[in-house]
Amino acid sequence: MTACRLFERTFDSLPAIVAFTADAFTSERIDPSLRTLVDLAIEELFTNMVKYSTGSKADVRIEITGIDRGVEVTLIDYDVDRFDVTARPEVDVNLPIEQRRPGGLGLHLIRRLMDSIQYEYAESSRQSRITFRKTAASNAADQNKGG
Amino acid sequence: MLTFDHAGPGTVAVKGRFDAAQAAAAQAFLDGVQGTVTLDCSGLEYISSAGLGVLLKTQKRLLASGGKLRLSRVSQHLRDIFSYSGFDQLFEIEPAQ
Repeated sequence: MTACRLFERTFDSLPAIVAFTADAFTSERIDPSLRTLVDLAIEELFTNMVKYSTGSKADVRIEITGIDRGVEVTLIDYDVDRFDVTARPEVDVNLPIEQRRPGGLGLHLIRRLMDSIQYEYAESSRQSRITFRKTAASNAADQNKGG
Repeated sequence: MLTFDHAGPGTVAVKGRFDAAQAAAAQAFLDGVQGTVTLDCSGLEYISSAGLGVLLKTQKRLLASGGKLRLSRVSQHLRDIFSYSGFDQLFEIEPAQ
């Protein structure tokens, strides 16, 4: 089973997305310890779509599926140009504060905290799909590192 | 929902979810603080890169005028986010007990 819903392309959709994710975790019986990090990844990807795919008026579709010991999430952006967030350059989080810029931190966190992230673009339908996975095994490893 | 409340001299308590929808209001509040400020994060449940950007901008402004922003009572989850973002090198961070 997959929980899915469309969301208006605005930051104001974030509370509804958080509520949808909470419901999906319950209905899909997904480990609740993963939820905060999944909320983070969804927010980062959704707000990227809002900020950079400004030509589209279409809603963004979010799909959440329970997988073995984890969750798979797909965000689908309609009527947009190709914008592969996964190909963006890595940020240097060790720079001194004078050289630090906030941009790119969201994707950096997703790369660091999710098991995988994949981008697909369909030219014919002008559709971007971003899929990421998070499992309890990687979550436990992160917590051990964080100490 | 995100709230900031003055919680004594030089201390501001932040509560709720610090996401992109709250960033503009949060920046407006933090633009008004001066000197060395301790941000009590015990009620902060969540932060995304939008919130991190607000904290970074505030820290740069305060450091430029001889002050700074300190983060206190920070949960393990938030410490991980700060660490992965390199913010543990930019802020004094006091863990939650």
